[in-house]
Amino acid sequence: MNKNTVNIGIPSKGRLKNDTLKIFKKKKLKIYSERGERDLFGYIKRISNIKIIYLHARECIEQLSLGNIDVGFSGIDLLKESEINIQNKIKVIKKYQFGKANLVLAIPDLWLDVQTLLDLDEVADEFKKKKKKLLRVATKYPNLTRQFLYSKGVTQFQLVKSLGSTEVAPFTGTAEIISDITSTGATLKANNLRVLKDGEILKSQACLMMSKLSLRKAGIKKIINLLSK
Amino acid sequence: MKSKNLSERILRLIKSKGFNNIELDPVLETKYILQRSGENFKRLLFSFYDLNGRELCLRPDLTISSVLRFVQSKSNKKQKVFYSGEAFRKTYQKQESIIKNQIGFEILGSKDKQKEDREIIDTSIKILKSSGFKKAVLKIGNVELFNLLINKLDIPRRWKNRLKRYYWNESYFNELLKRLETNEDIDPVFVEIDKSRYLKMRKFNSSKEVAGRTYKEILDRFDMKIKDPRRSSSGKINTRIIKEFLKIKCELKSAPYVLNKFFQKYELNIFVGKEFFPFNKINNSNLKIEFSASNGRDVEFYSSMIFSIEIKKGKKFKNFISGGRYDELTSSLGFRKVSAAGAAVNMGVYE
Repeated sequence: MNKNTVNIGIPSKGRLKNDTLKIFKKKKLKIYSERGERDLFGYIKRISNIKIIYLHARECIEQLSLGNIDVGFSGIDLLKESEINIQNKIKVIKKYQFGKANLVLAIPDLWLDVQTLLDLDEVADEFKKKKKKLLRVATKYPNLTRQFLYSKGVTQFQLVKSLGSTEVAPFTGTAEIISDITSTGATLKANNLRVLKDGEILKSQACLMMSKLSLRKAGIKKIINLLSK
Repeated sequence: MKSKNLSERILRLIKSKGFNNIELDPVLETKYILQRSGENFKRLLFSFYDLNGRELCLRPDLTISSVLRFVQSKSNKKQKVFYSGEAFRKTYQKQESIIKNQIGFEILGSKDKQKEDREIIDTSIKILKSSGFKKAVLKIGNVELFNLLINKLDIPRRWKNRLKRYYWNESYFNELLKRLETNEDIDPVFVEIDKSRYLKMRKFNSSKEVAGRTYKEILDRFDMKIKDPRRSSSGKINTRIIKEFLKIKCELKSAPYVLNKFFQKYELNIFVGKEFFPFNKINNSNLKIEFSASNGRDVEFYSSMIFSIEIKKGKKFKNFISGGRYDELTSSLGFRKVSAAGAAVNMGVYE
């Protein structure tokens, strides 16, 4: 990588990508790619020291912590989920009004007796005593889920890592409950799941972040100012 | 060097009391820690996978390794054992070491609990005498007293279970007390909405399962919840009694009197005798002995007697020896129940 080039990470797909690109458009920064739509690199017209890299929102956090990209767009949920040594290397510059979603704890809708975490804790204890196993929670966010459940007194559980379609886990025998990101709750509802009354783990939104390793890089301040105003 | 000599002296003393030295596995299966302490403790482990996919970890404390060794040996005979070595835990505190030097001694698998409890405390006091520390406090408590109190209070069974389970987690326990005052876990609006679904579900096969729970389990618990007879005024009184009990601190010799007076005041029909205080007469003017109803609330596996010896180092008191009885530990790991009592010496106080 060229030392004088400022590398900007942008989510490679979905609504997060589209909304991020709108910011560039609004600032009259025209992004182009040399090899067409599938090209994962891009440049900005008339600004030679910026390189755009399209990557997964989760990867964006990793690369910011390593200093491989200097500035990046991703969700606050993914930042908070990352290990503490990664979080310590990243600075949040601006929070946006898009990419809003909540990380929540959801249970099967038919568990009528479970409304709050206190109920869940009792059911978890029942699982351990009667069924001789721990209540399993399927999630893509093991760190945030663990911290949240423990802070609320639920300690008897086991996390099951999920890579996608987490909502089906309670009905396929993979786990009993889930924690997942949701914006309207429609997918959860369609899959017969219900959010616990006090089951909100985190409110998330899209953010502009920068690598702390790039604080002294030439030209970085100008670009940050341009994007964040 | 000084610390090494001291630890050798302590080990000789423990041996002279009839305890046998054992070697403990430095590595154990992570699932045992998960069963005992849940996910939150797991994050402090140094864990890894073997070639067969089993998750293993460096031992986070020596007690669990020793108890596992005994229970897996399938022996029923009483054993008096001691061990020393390093335990490994991750830490967020920069100054704190990830390696903990510990010495422990235990009595496993016997029947005379009072005698064993006395033996563990007597040995601990002898270690204190040989340690060179002049001023110390021996604090003693008993979880059974707390459980007796909770059983006598007029609160729903599920609340009794909650309070006993979270006795160890002080901040969450206090949160529970706040909720106990207000009956906050039942929302009448939700109950009304769910009642119609409840009636529908009653018509189905009760053994049908949803996410690992049968309809019967779900409906029975729902039933039990909405029939909760508790009034908010009784919640307030019970909370006050619990808080007041946990504040009780006094000289050990007057503990039965103070406790019985407390139970009498609230007409709880509990009488405390000497069986809760496993003690021989101690002649040590530098050792202050006190009863504390809330002693040792940070270690989850104790089931009755809990004690700690704190030594004065500089201006501060530091934990030197802590121990107690943990008869439920093996069953919480999924093994047969084994009666066990023991103590651990924190060699870190010499560093």
